[in-house]
Amino acid sequence: MATADPISAITTPSARPDNGLLVLLAAMTPEQLERVLGNLTASFPAEDLLIASPDAVSDALPAGSYPSLRIVAAPAANAAWTLTAADFVNAYQLADKNKARGLLMLGSESGSLGASALHGLANAVLTTPTDLAVSCYDLPPHAGLVNSAILYPLTRALFASRVRYPLAPDLGLSLRMAERLAGVAHRFTAINQGEAPLWPVNEAAVAGFTVDQFDVGPRLQSRPTGPDLNTILPLVTGALFSDIDAKAAFWQRFRQLPPVDDPLPMPQAPSSDAAADIAPMLSAFRLAYSNLHEIWSLVLPPNSLLGLKRLSTTDAADFRMPESLWARIVFDFLLAHRLRTINRGHLLGALIPLYLAWVASHINITTSGTTPECHIEAVAAAFETDKPYLVSRWRWPDRFNP
Amino acid sequence: MQNILAMLQTGQDETLQPLYAENASIWHHMSEALYQSLYRVLSLLVAILPGILAFIVALAVFTLIGMAVSALLRRGLTAARFDDHLARNRGDIDWAPSTSPTALIARISFWASVLLGLLIGISAFDASYATTTTLPSSLLPYLTRVVGAVFLLIAGTLIARFLARSVLIGAVNQQLQYARFLSLGIKWLVLVLTAAMVLDHLQMGGNIVALAFGILFGGIVLTLALAVGLGSRDLVSRSLESHAEHSGERSATPPTTSTTGPADSIRHF
Repeated sequence: MATADPISAITTPSARPDNGLLVLLAAMTPEQLERVLGNLTASFPAEDLLIASPDAVSDALPAGSYPSLRIVAAPAANAAWTLTAADFVNAYQLADKNKARGLLMLGSESGSLGASALHGLANAVLTTPTDLAVSCYDLPPHAGLVNSAILYPLTRALFASRVRYPLAPDLGLSLRMAERLAGVAHRFTAINQGEAPLWPVNEAAVAGFTVDQFDVGPRLQSRPTGPDLNTILPLVTGALFSDIDAKAAFWQRFRQLPPVDDPLPMPQAPSSDAAADIAPMLSAFRLAYSNLHEIWSLVLPPNSLLGLKRLSTTDAADFRMPESLWARIVFDFLLAHRLRTINRGHLLGALIPLYLAWVASHINITTSGTTPECHIEAVAAAFETDKPYLVSRWRWPDRFNP
Repeated sequence: MQNILAMLQTGQDETLQPLYAENASIWHHMSEALYQSLYRVLSLLVAILPGILAFIVALAVFTLIGMAVSALLRRGLTAARFDDHLARNRGDIDWAPSTSPTALIARISFWASVLLGLLIGISAFDASYATTTTLPSSLLPYLTRVVGAVFLLIAGTLIARFLARSVLIGAVNQQLQYARFLSLGIKWLVLVLTAAMVLDHLQMGGNIVALAFGILFGGIVLTLALAVGLGSRDLVSRSLESHAEHSGERSATPPTTSTTGPADSIRHF
């Protein structure tokens, strides 16, 4: 049965924007769309822009607004909360077809980004040698916790990158970076896994491309619609673990972390009235400890199990998961994922209560006065310190088991 | 008197003489039967011994051939960087060392060779078995049933363990207090089903197995249903309430807004 090619449905603009900037937008409300277009046209001449949107822009905007802006149709994004493999394939096809010089991919709710943020991301790939411009958000203290607990520390320890949000939905891409990402993404779309998240920072690190991150300020973040944490966490961690597995030859070599150029925005410590209730997370962890101990013991070494046993009997007020213990847990799950010690679905499902324990501990620590960013940096440092353990067990899984 | 005694004596002689003769005949017949039975069994063993030897030799030879082919393939594919080429062409590159394509191909070739040896061995055994008509005709087919039953048992046990773990992890992540009970229930459901299938495959028990299985299976399902139904009344009502609240909120406010309340201050993504 013949299927319609989403790219072929694009309306070809009268004049091709050679060497311009292609802006690929996610689906958004007319108000947000107008705000994004206003911010873009405030930073760049409208003639240099080509807007690709899945929405019917002409219907959404007031008649006569942005007359010189070229707008084409784009396929709708697979997931609203992040960029997926299919999005990168579509982006590169559009850029190649329209001979764009750089790409700006903006996720859902990107209307909350300021004009300077968009300018920074786009300008980096157009006028500087940067291949990948990643957004660094100023999020509330207890937001983006999966990123803070797993994605950022792992990316930093293994790929020697200080990018704070490796799964950021707003990116600036040079054409060669887009081409590389599309090549990787094509492998997923070819086997009907177009919804799989990609890891642009890891790809850029392996390819030796220049990566830079830009402080884009606060941003409204779209919630993953439909699936809950029990679905999304295994999806994201599974994709990251597989990517790490595929790039083992790269990260096993020692690499120096680049020095900090500009200090990142430091979210303020949460006020006491905004402190989250950690009781449900702790009860989930304790329930898991009494039920999943047998499964954890297949993955974790005795030291980690002892640490978890202590945690399971700790009071809520004193609940603190040591950074070294969390780093060791994530590394052991990564190793078990590689060795297929148990079914991968089971493995990633068994990680969820441990992650919730980390979140409870993080909230306790930040409530006691430590800034979230300080704690996250301490966690990332623990991952870096423990990296030799991961490398040793990766190379000799049977010989090295302390 | 003397006549009477003489009659008795002659009567005893007449009765004793044939008794002794019959005992001797029974022992003779018994030893004869035992001898013939032993002879039959030994001759049967002698008859099928070449078949057994052929089976063992075929299995051993093809196992050795399989090992050699497997080693050659493993070396050849590793030298040709087969895994890397395949990983470059395909996206699903999450192979562990023990399950890499090279290891899989080597393992498949080894086990294919062993299977071939097994088939040839069985065929040789079958040929020698066919010549011996004294072996009960149902023994070999029953042996194949036993092999099938063993496979069923292994598969059932694996499936039971997989499902038990899936249910346990899923229930724990849903924070169900009776997660372990649920997991055990599922595990025993599958194990009981497997046991019934194995016994049915072995044609043992007849209707008793079907009846016992029905009672056990029904009992476990009923127990689980009662336990879950009674234990999760609050959960279901809470879930329904929260669903109703969410529906109300969704109709009043857009779905993607920043969260400010303490309860919603945690954002995992």
